[in-house]
Amino acid sequence: MNVLFIHDAFPAQFGRLALELVRRKGWDCRFMVQSLSSCPTPTPEMLRELEIRQVPLAAEHRTSDGIPWPQIHGHFLEHCRTIMEAVRSTSPPLPDLVVAHGGRGAPTLFLREVLDCPIVVYCEYYFATHRRDISYRIDLPPAEPAQFFPRCINAPTLSALVDCDAGYSATAWQRDTFPARFRHKIKVYFDGIDTDLYVSGRSSRRIGDVTIPPGARVVTFASRGLESIRGFDLFMKAAQRIAAARSDVVFAVAGGEEIHYGWDKLHTGAPSFKQWVLGQDSYDLSRFFFLGRILPEQLADVFRMSDLHIYLTAPFVLSWSMLSAMASGCVVLASDVGPVREVIEPGVNGLVEPLFDVDRLVATALRVLDDPAAHAPLAAAARRTVLERYSVETCIPPLGDFLERVAGRGV
Amino acid sequence: MAQDPLHVLWIEPGFPGRMGGVADWLTRHRGYRSTFYCHTTAPRSHWPSSVGRGLDIETFGVGGAARDQAVAWSRTLERGLCYAYGCWEVLDKKRPRPIDLIVGRSSGLGSSLFAPVYWPSAPVASYMDYYFAPHQHDLADHAAPDMRSSYYCWRRSMGAIDLLDLEQASLGWTSTEWQRRLYPGEYQPDIEVLHDGVDTDLFRESAWHSRGAGPRVIAGRAIPDEVRVVSFVARTVDRLRGFDRFFTLAGKLMATRQDVICVAAGDPIVRRGLDVTFHNQDYPARLKADHPSVDRDRLWLLGSVPPATLAELLAASDLHVAPGRSYPVARSLLEAMATGCVVVASDVEPNREVIEPERTGILINTSYEHTLAGTAIKILADRATYRPLGAAAAALVRERYSRAVCLPRLAERFSALVEAHEARR
Repeated sequence: MNVLFIHDAFPAQFGRLALELVRRKGWDCRFMVQSLSSCPTPTPEMLRELEIRQVPLAAEHRTSDGIPWPQIHGHFLEHCRTIMEAVRSTSPPLPDLVVAHGGRGAPTLFLREVLDCPIVVYCEYYFATHRRDISYRIDLPPAEPAQFFPRCINAPTLSALVDCDAGYSATAWQRDTFPARFRHKIKVYFDGIDTDLYVSGRSSRRIGDVTIPPGARVVTFASRGLESIRGFDLFMKAAQRIAAARSDVVFAVAGGEEIHYGWDKLHTGAPSFKQWVLGQDSYDLSRFFFLGRILPEQLADVFRMSDLHIYLTAPFVLSWSMLSAMASGCVVLASDVGPVREVIEPGVNGLVEPLFDVDRLVATALRVLDDPAAHAPLAAAARRTVLERYSVETCIPPLGDFLERVAGRGV
Repeated sequence: MAQDPLHVLWIEPGFPGRMGGVADWLTRHRGYRSTFYCHTTAPRSHWPSSVGRGLDIETFGVGGAARDQAVAWSRTLERGLCYAYGCWEVLDKKRPRPIDLIVGRSSGLGSSLFAPVYWPSAPVASYMDYYFAPHQHDLADHAAPDMRSSYYCWRRSMGAIDLLDLEQASLGWTSTEWQRRLYPGEYQPDIEVLHDGVDTDLFRESAWHSRGAGPRVIAGRAIPDEVRVVSFVARTVDRLRGFDRFFTLAGKLMATRQDVICVAAGDPIVRRGLDVTFHNQDYPARLKADHPSVDRDRLWLLGSVPPATLAELLAASDLHVAPGRSYPVARSLLEAMATGCVVVASDVEPNREVIEPERTGILINTSYEHTLAGTAIKILADRATYRPLGAAAAALVRERYSRAVCLPRLAERFSALVEAHEARR
């Protein structure tokens, strides 16, 4: 079977999936992407086995500084048109199935003009007007577009969803963010965590040039961007108090300073949420290692040295990093929100506390750091959870079968 | 069911548009307070009587892409958001309150999309006009084989604002079952068919139609009894509503009978973006230039006229022609039926929903010019034989489509909507 994967970036959600489909089912997987990702980067095997065509947007539709929210739909349509023209010019064979992702709607809307095959869209998320995602942090100063953005941002998502044959979400919580009328069309299949890479064991105990002394406790925090939706500010508040309580703790923070979601620049007036947060208090930065964006292999090493991983997301798409940390045998302390609760059973395979309750976050963190042995069963259970429910080995077969059913129009 | 007086915030790009008449009736007959937000207003001669007496108009400006004369098709939604934002700005400044219900008609522009930012506690009822099919209906059925692909891309993109409106709405409603079925299956169960009715006080069965006698006047000109009047009415006299077919028909009829005058009412400038070929052009002028032999003394083009003039025209018409493409039934078709006109309409699905062939009107395949002309000639030659069709049409509209029938139902639905919304809070 010939499958065309469409995504902004490669490998992102589809690279590993496609590689597994090539290996396991012998499918021919092609990609149309705007760019190759730097985090994570494509593996040599992916580049060897998969046909990847970069289809950049026309120069006038590219921007490095975000798209003004009223123009997002137009940008989406231009992306749809670019993809349509690219498919039109593709040499045979034509795909038997299209699988497409778009953070703001899969760019498949015009493909029916040039293709007659089923289309599957990856239903990542449907934005809410309140109490979720970028509307959740009402504790921050108001940002003017926040009132309007959620009322129009879903237009591309809805258009693609109406048009597609089937969709899938990585978690039930994500699926349930979509309007109820569409849920029959959206199945739940997780992408798959690489449990060979993210595995517990000996770490280098080195962060950059610094060697972590034996006996020191390492607390980790990871997020693609250090931003409010992932609770970076709340982590820093908690970390400061943990640092005050224990002199042997260091904090390894992975993530860039880019803002991927929300209005942090408007909330704060600062170009970097991280810098704004650091300016709010006097932190002992000698205890913090800000690693920036790092490769998966480096992140896996950081997780292996972690005594406690803190994950403080608002109700939003669950980060791969939390599951990767669990796969690595970390004790995870996370915010008590819907997407986390789908994975973590408190006291069994991790710990949760209310997102804004820094007192409780600190108290729980200190209990873990005071007695790691007592909390080791949580880490073991976390690893088991990922192996049983979220590993590549577990997730790819049913997802492949689903795609096969859709290709046969069996949905 | 309760039909309580409500304070309704009506939002539509233009006033009176479609909702103006509804707001007027509910204000006069159910004690509503109506605040009507719009971007443009028609001349005062088009305004309903309750303006200033329970129905207040507020206009809003638009900025950004909405101020441009033309924007790329891919920026259509952006234009709509400019309307929505402009409406919100004036709402936030004027602060009308308390609002029981927001009734929006997007017309593809989404003007009401941000109204709940100002007043989140009121339910929203969205009137849904038309959901584009990429290759079907309206003028797409007649697109040239070499039509550029961006035309179909544009059509595929046009539903976005409707989807946003429907997601936001507590109630989606439309006028006909055909319109409802155009929408994606996921939304159809949540769209109710509630016709907004025609004004049967103004468009009532005329003496000319019921008795075949009585004075006839069209736009100030008296019409002798022996003259045959053929009428065509549309908001804009364009291809979508079949003005090209009417124009051809007029030529044939005037060549066949010296006693025929053909009268068209409607804005000559093609306003709908649907007609990409003639958009913003004077379409009748274009046709006249292409067919200079048409007898201009007997082809009257009235332009956009006030409702009273329209009523005069329809009251005097011996044959009303509605040869449009597959598109929501024109209100003027029902108004013509209400006045007792003999109606000949194109045999398309939306028209079949309101016309019972050979009883309340005649449906014809407009692909064949001679069919339309032949039918029209027969009707004009024997007005008495066909008069019962007009009488049945008038009765049908009185029973099913008059405001006195339709709008109490709508008022009930609005009351229920508000009650249910309050109960949930």
